[in-house]
Amino acid sequence: MGLYVLKRVGALAPLLVVISFLTFILNGLSPMDPAEVVLHAQGVPSITEELIAATRAELGMDRPLLARYWDWLLASIQLDFGDSYITGKPVWSLLGPALMNTLKLTIVSSLFIIALSIVLGVLCALREGRWLDLSVRGVSFLLTSMPAYWLAALMVWYFAVKLDLLPTSGMDSANSYVLPVAVIVIGYAGIYFRVVRSSMLSNLNEDYVLYGRACGIPERRLTMHVLRNSLQVAVSVFGLAIPIILGSTVVVENIFAWPGLGTLTVTSILGRDFPIIQAYVLVLAVAFVLFNTGSDVLNAAMNPRLRKEL
Amino acid sequence: MGRNKIVVLLAFVLAIAMLAGCSGNKGNGGSAGTEAEVRELVYATAKDINDMNPHLYPGSMPAQGIIYESLVENTPEGIKPLLAESWDISEDGKSYTFHLRKDVKFHDGEPFNAEAVKQNIDAVQRNGSKHAWIKLSTKLAEVSAVDEFTVKLTLTETYYPTLLELSMTRPYVFISPKDFLNGETKDGVTGYHGTGPYRLEEHVTEQYASFEANEDYWGGAPAVKKLTAKVLPAGETTLLALQKGEVNFVFTDDRGTDSIDVDAMQRLADTGDYRIVRSEPMNTKMIVANSSQTASPVSEKAVREAIWQSIDRETISRTIFGGTETPADALFSSNVNYADVGLEKREYDPEAAAKLLEEAGWTTASGAEIRSKDGRQLTMKLYYDVNSSSQKTQAELLQSEVLKIGMKLDLVGEESSAIAGRRSSGDYDLLFNQTWGLAYDPQSTITAFASDNAYLHTTSGIPRAEELYAKIEQVMVSTDEETRKGLYKDILTIVHEEAVFIPLTNGSVTIVAPSDLVGISFKQTQFELPFERMSFQ
Amino acid sequence: MKLLKRLLKDKLAAASLAVVAATLLIGLFAPLFAPHPPNEANMELRFAGASWSYWLGNDHLGRCILSRLIYGIRPSVLWVLAALGAAACFGAALGFVAGYFRGRIDAILMRVCDVMLSFPGYVMTLAIVGMLGAGLANILLAFVVMKWAWFARVIRTAVMQYADADYVKFAKVLGMGHFGIMRRHIAPAALSEIAVIASSAFGSMILQISGLSFLGLGIEAPHAEWGMMMNEARSVMFTRPELMLAPGLAIIAVVSAVNFLSDALQKALDPKLAVSGKRTSVFAGGMMRGLRKKEAA
Repeated sequence: MGLYVLKRVGALAPLLVVISFLTFILNGLSPMDPAEVVLHAQGVPSITEELIAATRAELGMDRPLLARYWDWLLASIQLDFGDSYITGKPVWSLLGPALMNTLKLTIVSSLFIIALSIVLGVLCALREGRWLDLSVRGVSFLLTSMPAYWLAALMVWYFAVKLDLLPTSGMDSANSYVLPVAVIVIGYAGIYFRVVRSSMLSNLNEDYVLYGRACGIPERRLTMHVLRNSLQVAVSVFGLAIPIILGSTVVVENIFAWPGLGTLTVTSILGRDFPIIQAYVLVLAVAFVLFNTGSDVLNAAMNPRLRKEL
Repeated sequence: MGRNKIVVLLAFVLAIAMLAGCSGNKGNGGSAGTEAEVRELVYATAKDINDMNPHLYPGSMPAQGIIYESLVENTPEGIKPLLAESWDISEDGKSYTFHLRKDVKFHDGEPFNAEAVKQNIDAVQRNGSKHAWIKLSTKLAEVSAVDEFTVKLTLTETYYPTLLELSMTRPYVFISPKDFLNGETKDGVTGYHGTGPYRLEEHVTEQYASFEANEDYWGGAPAVKKLTAKVLPAGETTLLALQKGEVNFVFTDDRGTDSIDVDAMQRLADTGDYRIVRSEPMNTKMIVANSSQTASPVSEKAVREAIWQSIDRETISRTIFGGTETPADALFSSNVNYADVGLEKREYDPEAAAKLLEEAGWTTASGAEIRSKDGRQLTMKLYYDVNSSSQKTQAELLQSEVLKIGMKLDLVGEESSAIAGRRSSGDYDLLFNQTWGLAYDPQSTITAFASDNAYLHTTSGIPRAEELYAKIEQVMVSTDEETRKGLYKDILTIVHEEAVFIPLTNGSVTIVAPSDLVGISFKQTQFELPFERMSFQ
Repeated sequence: MKLLKRLLKDKLAAASLAVVAATLLIGLFAPLFAPHPPNEANMELRFAGASWSYWLGNDHLGRCILSRLIYGIRPSVLWVLAALGAAACFGAALGFVAGYFRGRIDAILMRVCDVMLSFPGYVMTLAIVGMLGAGLANILLAFVVMKWAWFARVIRTAVMQYADADYVKFAKVLGMGHFGIMRRHIAPAALSEIAVIASSAFGSMILQISGLSFLGLGIEAPHAEWGMMMNEARSVMFTRPELMLAPGLAIIAVVSAVNFLSDALQKALDPKLAVSGKRTSVFAGGMMRGLRKKEAA
């Protein structure tokens, strides 16, 4: 086990380096000369070629790529992502609070998704082919095919306007969570419910169940066993779910004016605020990789068979 | 063992279900509670108020306008006293002596006196390059405190709009010297204490900012005790929030954008909970053409004229604005000072536009939809503010109009800050903009023709650019009214003939407010609102 | 063809296939089906209701909504399909190479895949759109960049599995060339894998592209796209809710048809799945597919 963890963590370092490098050169894709951007941000009235050259030197743009990457990496590790082009504030002072707000939304949503998909998945697997199974599957299918913003609009119209139960937007109180969380949960629970269900089903068909049944072990105890085994598999899937949801709250945040990463990123893209976009990509990619490894390790700890395979 | 885990799991699920139930209940309680204490104004804004440092430009102007004050105020009747009770101007027009009010304190209790004025203006001047658009900053030689409440400004030469520029929302406004960072304001400040009717109470970035009434305000404490600026995306989110009372006030923002469209406003007014108040026309909404973009067809006068003649202003006014904004035929409407110079009107006339293009050598190759000349396509980019649905609609309408005469417009929606960046860097063909409003028109808007932060790229590509800039220099220092009139006429005629500022409609400031809010009025600028005069009935 | 027959036995799958095929055809021949030019503005008809000549009414510029809906199939569905095809070809080619030749090429390619897969899809799309600017082409580019690694991974596994199969070994012994073996034996077997992944990614990509257009990061005016139509309807969502309806229902119909089809395809290709097979690899595959499906939305 220790060896496995070591191996996974060892593989993490080069991966993170490559990812950070890719993010770094991503900035080179932008059509603007950083030196010019900085000068404009400072409001310098007349920009000459010499001034641009001087600023490039000042920014270290004339140094080799790898040297610049190294400096950038060191700064990034200390959460220094430079200043926003638009507001002039340090990127982290904008990104940090936004990340926290998105995390809150993500965690609450994930908890509901996990709970809902486990309950529904188990119930449906135990009643495979019956009306409960069929109807839950049908509804979840339809809901996953719905564009999140469409669903959101519908729910806002009904719950916030018609019934006047919930706030339409913002992040002012616990009530503010209800609609965005509901939209995210509806979008994702269908998928994870299917994972739990099929995991249950495949376990129910395992030899040990047949054997147990043949030996006359009571059905309830068998079900418990199956449940335990299937949930083990589901854990790794849920581990991956969190960063995926984290990265895809963009639309929901925009509709509900949630002051999170998604809103910030879309505003930054439309405002061509490249340092923020770059930092966003780096932070989420790193989070994704860490969660990935974390869930693999967790999974391996729970299921020794997997460890050998990898 | 297995059973235990199941029990734990079930407990967990139950807990979550209960949590869900709880938050649902709170939902009921919460919204019922807000009805009772709606005695504050909560206004929706698409942008965070940002940095409230009044000597820099990222901050929201309406918010800065209620915290900070200038020496004098621009009113329909001319320049009036504000922080300065009175002033004397020397014979040669080069020195201004201001007698300050003696009963003014900054929000942090610091006294407002000649020394504070000197420190503030000096701090602004030390960051001169940022303020080049405001010509006074280049002509101010010295600020001196004569006595505790007397300040003298000395200029390098006579400059007639001096008082006008001192009345502007920024940069010549005053922040407590205690807030200076290392004796400067250019690298940020440590607090936001002005002398205005409201003080900044709390600011949560990208969420809200709240302002409380300054009970010690020298002009009397404002009646509306609390103001909140809530960040909401424009459009239906704001409309819903208004309907539900989560916000109760919206107004045209400092970029000239309304957060809800005319139809939606009317619907709100029809409910009886809200009323609409519109100011007189304040500015001209326009499309700015980058004449210095030599690689683009937009650098040709004929192309700009063709665009001008392809815009059906009557239809725009009637359908998109529901008649609330009138068609504009020139950069400044004739009620603006010095602007009634009888410019030739360019009517909506697609055929004439097509003919202009044809004559300029832009021809349609057989089978091609888009005209071309010397192998170059007649294609340009038009940038609009993504938060403004009316700009987008106008852009799309124009796009479909000009396509009929073989011109292609690519529309790009961006945040207003990015568009402002493009305007100053010259990285655009066409973009939506507006003149700066009554207090600034025509002198500041015209100064801005030559300012790099504003319209330098717009004007620098025209053949008579040098002549234009020389005349702008002259008009600002001219002391003779008749000479000024003549110079303004020349300037306006040049830019009109070159068609670099393509007018659309005359814009005004629109307020949607609770129907029992009285005392709603406007200032001479589209960038501020006199909240301190408002009160609930 | 056997596959098709098996598919059509399932009524729901047949209906889904019909919906998808009809959508593709209508999109392909949009000029024949659309009653009006999609970009023709007429301010006199701004927000006009349904009429005999404009079945679904008119939008904020007085354009025909039905025509825009029909032309919207192109970017919303056809272009997504094209991007998917490009990603599949590219990924499959690399996957084949990696799985067939193994060794160092395989190691390098799989590391690259690892890196690509470690960027969450939505984030990568936003990154590319953020740096290159909003626009359909950039989103499609982002899709290709993001998705090929999935295909490469799965194809590689499939190829390795089949490359060890006796009949392929036999063909090698008989002296068939690399290319011949791939074409004759491995490609047909791996094709079904490609079809399953592609179909399950398809629905999510449609949702994603319309989501980005909805946020104003997608297609540029005046082109019709379903997400864009909803974006335009959004500003009058509560004054004229009917404008949200048509594009919304179109997306739901197509995406759910695609998803049903994808499920049916999976079952038809691998009957074991239908009876919940025991092979953990199959199960894991299904799991990953499920995950991918909702990477968007």
